[in-house]
Amino acid sequence: MIMPLLQGLKITFLHMFKKPVTLQYPKERPVVVPNYRGLHALKVSHEQAKCVACYLCPTVCPAKCITVEAGEDAKHDKYAARYEIDLLRCIFCGYCVEACPVDALKMTQEFELANYKREDFVFVKERLLEKK
Amino acid sequence: MVNLTIDDTQVTVPKDATIFDAAKAAGIRIPILCHDKKLQPFGGCRMCLVEVEQMKGRQIPACTTPVTEGMIVRTTTDEIVKARKLVLELLLLKHPIDCPVCDAAGDCDLQNLTYEYKVNLNRFQDEKFQHQIDYENPLIERDMNRCIHCGKCARICDEIVSYGAYTFMNRGIEAKIGTEFDGPLNCEFCGSCVSVCPVGALISRPFKFKARWWALNKVKSVCSYCGTGCQLTLGVKDGKVLTTIYDENQGFHNGQLCTRGRFGYQFVNSDKRLATPLIRKNGVLQQASWDEALTLVAAKLAEAKNAGGKAVAGLVTARLTNEELFLFKKLFKDGLGSDNIDHSAGYAHAALTAGAMESFGTVASPAAISDIQASDLLLVVKTDAYETHPVLGFEINLGVKRKEIDLRIISDKRGKLAKLPKAVTYVHKPGQEVALVNALAQVILAENLQDATATGIEGFEALKQQLADYAPENVAATCGLDADAIKNLARDYAKAAKALIILPLGLGYPGHGKALAQAIANLTLLTGKVGKEGCGVLYLGEKNNSQGAADLGVYPTAGGADADAIMTGCLNGSIKTLIVAGENPVVSYPDRKRVEAALDKVEFLVVQDLFLTETAAKAHVVLPACSFAEKGGTYTSVGRAVQRINQAIKPVGEARSDFAILNGLVASLTGSAPYADVAAVFAEIAATVPAYAGLSLAELGDTGAILPVTIKPRFVPAGAAVIPVESGKLALVTGSALYHCGTMSRFGEGPMHVCPEGYVELGRDDARALSVKEGDTVVVKSASGELKLKAKVGTRMPQGVVFAPYHFGEASVNSIAAGAAVTWVSISK
Ligand code: SF4
Ligand code: SF4
Ligand code: SF4
Ligand code: SF4
Ligand code: SF4
Ligand code: FES
Repeated sequence: MIMPLLQGLKITFLHMFKKPVTLQYPKERPVVVPNYRGLHALKVSHEQAKCVACYLCPTVCPAKCITVEAGEDAKHDKYAARYEIDLLRCIFCGYCVEACPVDALKMTQEFELANYKREDFVFVKERLLEKK
Repeated sequence: MVNLTIDDTQVTVPKDATIFDAAKAAGIRIPILCHDKKLQPFGGCRMCLVEVEQMKGRQIPACTTPVTEGMIVRTTTDEIVKARKLVLELLLLKHPIDCPVCDAAGDCDLQNLTYEYKVNLNRFQDEKFQHQIDYENPLIERDMNRCIHCGKCARICDEIVSYGAYTFMNRGIEAKIGTEFDGPLNCEFCGSCVSVCPVGALISRPFKFKARWWALNKVKSVCSYCGTGCQLTLGVKDGKVLTTIYDENQGFHNGQLCTRGRFGYQFVNSDKRLATPLIRKNGVLQQASWDEALTLVAAKLAEAKNAGGKAVAGLVTARLTNEELFLFKKLFKDGLGSDNIDHSAGYAHAALTAGAMESFGTVASPAAISDIQASDLLLVVKTDAYETHPVLGFEINLGVKRKEIDLRIISDKRGKLAKLPKAVTYVHKPGQEVALVNALAQVILAENLQDATATGIEGFEALKQQLADYAPENVAATCGLDADAIKNLARDYAKAAKALIILPLGLGYPGHGKALAQAIANLTLLTGKVGKEGCGVLYLGEKNNSQGAADLGVYPTAGGADADAIMTGCLNGSIKTLIVAGENPVVSYPDRKRVEAALDKVEFLVVQDLFLTETAAKAHVVLPACSFAEKGGTYTSVGRAVQRINQAIKPVGEARSDFAILNGLVASLTGSAPYADVAAVFAEIAATVPAYAGLSLAELGDTGAILPVTIKPRFVPAGAAVIPVESGKLALVTGSALYHCGTMSRFGEGPMHVCPEGYVELGRDDARALSVKEGDTVVVKSASGELKLKAKVGTRMPQGVVFAPYHFGEASVNSIAAGAAVTWVSISK
């Protein structure tokens, strides 16, 4: 009867001398692995989003949370006049990144996505542009 | 029939079939890039290679090789797959492969075959093409870097459209599809080339980058412009019609469309569409609720009903569905007790409802579209048949070029049809059609060329007597033709084993009314050329449902006022309430001033329309209606084809279909329960209109049905109206421009990109005499008014005759033309 209790206390006692596993977030930051699938970013090249609005990511997205609308620029080329991801619906599967034929999309280590309003979870193109 | 074996399957096919056709019949797919069932075999791409045992395993193209008895064909062997891969590798060698930004992706034959044959790598290397892309023309973007040289665009433009905008130019690796002087494309913009291009070399500019092919919902429907009744497929996404999609298996025309059908769909989602009902309060139209608007309309109509129905009238467009037209008629007949209804200004359908009715005992054409190709000689009245009904023009082109059908044209102008091989055009003075056709009949009688049956037809003697005045020698001078030429034409027509007459109708053609229809009917009856295959008359009703409107009797049938009398009634105050559904009389009816005065005068004007048209702007109540893409129903087109349209999108804004509006009004005025749905009204049409007997909406399916017709022939002498000649003036004739149909196409971007405004077309000689150049603004002055129009100079118009299309609201030609076949005008700079 008394033995199990003592054994439990022993474990507790030993832990007092071990390094704690609890991360003191937000004072302490976690190490995020490089292939972590966090917030999306639209890659930028030559001061422009690389996305050519091919619609492959909205086509492949299982959560149907990407909205792309193509536009024609002054040089008659195609670009994403509208690019939005509704992160409330996103399941962070990363298919969109895989589908992109021009490597215009990536997923970052950014995981702090909490917000107060539903609208704020819709990331429009400007919010998604990669921050250098 | 020929028997052969393809991949161990026995097939029996007609002896003019190719291996490709035979394989198709056996359900075996052979990949193709340059072949199209509508075009002559070409054999340019070598994608369709197959092996024939008798040819010692040599690889031959399936699309050009005719079948022979006992052939043993293999369509897929390792060798063939290797050869096809090689073809693809070579095609991809200089191809940009920019599928992510290419609108063809998803519907691209090259992409699909590359995927199917797993061509991941290319053994060869070369630089890509650097051709300049044609962004200049309004509707078709041409990126020759993506072209695979299948030649389909050049072939369809030549074989079917007969325009010939493209040709191969340069040689070897430099070869490309070029246009006139390698400049921007400038053609009819029918879009046939875009539809057959297997890759993304030719794409539709209005649809560029709008959506991906796989994201589009495809809804089958029928074009809502002209009476040809082309079937089309709408590409829909997010509740918007974004494009029309080519389907080579649709309709008699194999998916071919004209520029209006293919590029004119934007009116459906135009931002000019009316979103809510409008009611005039304190002189201005203000937004209102449906309840308010409909209560007001119902109350006014109840008032009119109680006053006896004489003071209420209705004008309806022949663009509505059969079911809507039926309800419109019912609203007046049963709901209001009035017979004052009409459509298309009255004269535009008189050829059917008065002409054919009296001569043939039916309001429909005694011929079908299939008779065009089955005939030996086509007699087209006015080259304008091409402009009014372009896809029927394609049928004529095909018949003349492939089946060597003779083509005779009587017209007041030259035109595209006149350029076809074997076409003989008789250019007569404007307005002389009836005299000319009577002269033809006279020659037939005088030379004893009539059919044995003719004498037995009622009215023969009277006709004979009447025609005596129309001997070619008598009419030659007024018609501006040689008497011998008239005789030759009459002989050609009479001696052809099968001959079909084609008569376009429409608001632009006031001369094509009852008299002309009867003169033509007499000609067919005299020669016995009616009621047989390849014979008869094809009346080309102007609007998508002109034939339906005639069938359903949407015109006064019990002594009521016709369109002209309705205008008079409005002017003199005897008509106090007017319902206008879809018509735009201010622009399309003759004599704009008079129409405007009439509409200003009428006490209560209700307009149901998609847009705030010139007519709707005068209304007391405007009810926003639905376009063809937002409703279901049926249209009856040229040659009595009844076909279904299907709802593709939800109504725009608060719009309601004319069906819903009329169904409610009929119910409230007759006190009966409203019809459950479109099918219920169609069932009632089938029960009450003999031609539609036995049909049901469900059974019409995707293909539709051809209505039966029985003819009770009678000769009705048709007198030619005397056209007063004013010397020193030019004869103005009105009509349709190729890019427009009625006044609705003005709300489609496509047609407006190519033909944005009205114009007056002059012949070279007249232009030189007036020192007018192409593009100059000229003042056209008639007895009833004057107009400023852009001048167009060409070879189409003979000396002394000028042409103006009627579709446009600004500078509308009806402000100088008052409904005569010919308006005399003077033109100055
Ligand atoms: S990660 Fe997955 S769910 Fe999220 S946007 Fe990309 S494809 Fe859609
Ligand atoms: S897949 Fe890439 S290029 Fe295509 S739309 Fe998405 S992000 Fe843009
Ligand atoms: S034409 Fe076909 S293969 Fe070529 S870029 Fe376009 S979609 Fe890709
Ligand atoms: S433009 Fe298109 S249709 Fe014409 S040859 Fe090239 S690939 Fe063929
Ligand atoms: S406008 Fe007439 S010819 Fe052109 S596509 Fe429509 S129905 Fe066919
Ligand atoms: S499809 Fe037969 S050669 Fe092109």
